[in-house]
Amino acid sequence: MSGGERSRVRVFGLRTRLLFAFLLVAAVSAGTTAALTYREARTAVLKTAQDTAVTSFREQVQLTGFSLPVRGEGLEDVLRDLARKSKPHPWVVFAEYGSLRASSGENPVSTVITPELRSAARANPRGAFERVVKDGVPYLTIAMPTVFKTSPDSVLPSGLVLYAVMRMTDEQITIDALLMAARDGALPGLAVALIPGLLAARSVLRPVRELRQAARSMGSGRLDTRIVVRGSDELADLARTFNESTGQLERSVRELREAEERARRFASDVSHELRTPLAGMLAVTEVLDEDADGLDADTARAVRLVSAETGKLAVLVEDLMEISRFDARAAELNADEVDVAEAIRNTLQNRHWTDDRVRTELPDGIRARLDPRRFDVVIANLVGNALKHGDAPVTVRLRTEAGAPGSPVLLITEVADSGPGLQPAVLPHIFDRFYKADAARTRSAGSGLGLAITLENVKLHGGTIHAGNRPEGGAVFAVEIPLHVEGAGG
Amino acid sequence: MRRARTRRRAAAVAFAAVVPLLGGCGIQETDAIEAGGPASFQAFFDRNQEILLFFRSPDGGLSPVIRTPPDSSVFDGYVEGAGEENTDDTAEPIPTEKAVLALLGGPAKEDRAAGLSTSLPAALPGGSVKVELLPGGRVATLLPFFLEGLDTTALRQLTCTIAYSQDAEGQVVVELTGQDGVSRSGTCGLAPNSTGSTGNTPEETETRARPTPPATTG
Repeated sequence: MSGGERSRVRVFGLRTRLLFAFLLVAAVSAGTTAALTYREARTAVLKTAQDTAVTSFREQVQLTGFSLPVRGEGLEDVLRDLARKSKPHPWVVFAEYGSLRASSGENPVSTVITPELRSAARANPRGAFERVVKDGVPYLTIAMPTVFKTSPDSVLPSGLVLYAVMRMTDEQITIDALLMAARDGALPGLAVALIPGLLAARSVLRPVRELRQAARSMGSGRLDTRIVVRGSDELADLARTFNESTGQLERSVRELREAEERARRFASDVSHELRTPLAGMLAVTEVLDEDADGLDADTARAVRLVSAETGKLAVLVEDLMEISRFDARAAELNADEVDVAEAIRNTLQNRHWTDDRVRTELPDGIRARLDPRRFDVVIANLVGNALKHGDAPVTVRLRTEAGAPGSPVLLITEVADSGPGLQPAVLPHIFDRFYKADAARTRSAGSGLGLAITLENVKLHGGTIHAGNRPEGGAVFAVEIPLHVEGAGG
Repeated sequence: MRRARTRRRAAAVAFAAVVPLLGGCGIQETDAIEAGGPASFQAFFDRNQEILLFFRSPDGGLSPVIRTPPDSSVFDGYVEGAGEENTDDTAEPIPTEKAVLALLGGPAKEDRAAGLSTSLPAALPGGSVKVELLPGGRVATLLPFFLEGLDTTALRQLTCTIAYSQDAEGQVVVELTGQDGVSRSGTCGLAPNSTGSTGNTPEETETRARPTPPATTG
């Protein structure tokens, strides 16, 4: 009954999967949105900075005059002047002309400017920029080839290329802030997505839990179990179908029980109805039996046959009535504390099985609460069967056995014969009603209900009965009845 | 089995969602990206008093330098030019012969200081240069040395110096003829956006015919 806990602990249960699906959808949508926003914003930030830097660098260079050839002396002052006008961030200006190298900084040659940028600027007199990340610091490097006017309409490359190197630290800070903002926006989104996920899981899991409880309750026999149908979704349909199915099942079971009840009552009624005429017939056959000796031989044989068959019929009717009482659960246990060995000896004595056909191993002093009449029927049936179908000698053994700890001590009565034993095919059906182990002897003396009644009587005592074969040959029937000596009261 | 497959698929989706998030954080490097035209600075070049000479820069290209011819009446010309406020060619441009002789004279001290050199042979003393204008905007120049054996840079130095001496935009076809009778013709083609030369050009691949894409930023 730990189903509730199990469903809560289950790793890949419905709840986990629903939550996971909600989280996944939320993660994908929030992540995609955040990523796209972040990328756009980053592009915008970088583009602004780059465009501003390239444009202002070009403007500053255009405002500067150079002589041709460019002279090395004084060049650094010009470059420092250019560097002072840097925008949007401070930059270092480098100049390359022929073999001249100069800069506004300390080193005349930059370590950040890449050969690609140099060759791009040399090959094509157009401005170019390149973002370089060096030692984790992003730089914007701008190459600005210069031209001068030879006429109002014509320009000529001067061979002087100016470079600006600008740290993009501010942009990096801005972009990192953007990333943090994107993350801080996406993560709460995920947390919020948990709430509808839990609600959805709850709305699915509650009907499922109710359904499971209802199914279990039906399994334990309460066929009138119904589920409250809520809403009109698929789960409500399922609940409705479940209710309809249980209704039909309940109806079928009721009809089946009524039919069984009718059949039982019919058997009971028939045997009751037969009993009265049979009693009269028995009285008549007794008289006929007594007078049979006076009749001629054929008539006497016929009379004795009728008398014997009537007797069997009476036994059969008695057995039928007995089994009907068991079926109708009308059989009662009139328990009394008895000495079991004494009870068995009485049974054997009453049936005149006192000669050496029946051996007994009955230790004295075993007392149990038994219904003496029913126990007598059990022993008599088993011994009678053993004598009838097996061979003498028949051994009746009585012992007690302590079962597993916590279970009661068992009173075991074994009836073993010395016959050929039971065939394996017979064993599963040996306690069935009207089952004849020996097909050739269909018309045996028994009613065919003896072992069935024995079984019912043992069950009524809360015990069990087993049939089997002894290793040394011969069938053995073992009756195990819980021994209630102490504490049974009365 | 199905569950495992579902889980794997979900993991793939999550992976695909996370990768672009992690992949492009921070500032990425770029290639060299073209952004707008070059910077045009003021070189104070006056065609009437100065000449453009083309020397060889250490990277193999040509670098123009502005030279004032030593025996020209600079002061007078300057005054004259300033007085006229640079109106159309009232002053006489400096003759091309003078420009070629100056080029043959080699780089000056400040040119050499910037690493400029020449591929031309040293000027022969007393050698004369003859320049003749031909119909159709062509200029024929007779040079006082052999053309045979000169490299491309030398021919381009000559062509460009002559072209810019003749025309402010340098759009002139120059025919060079050496003492050995070898002749070469071509255009300078150094200016951005100028089309390539025709005929027997000394600079085969130096044409600067480039499409000019709009300024792009990344």
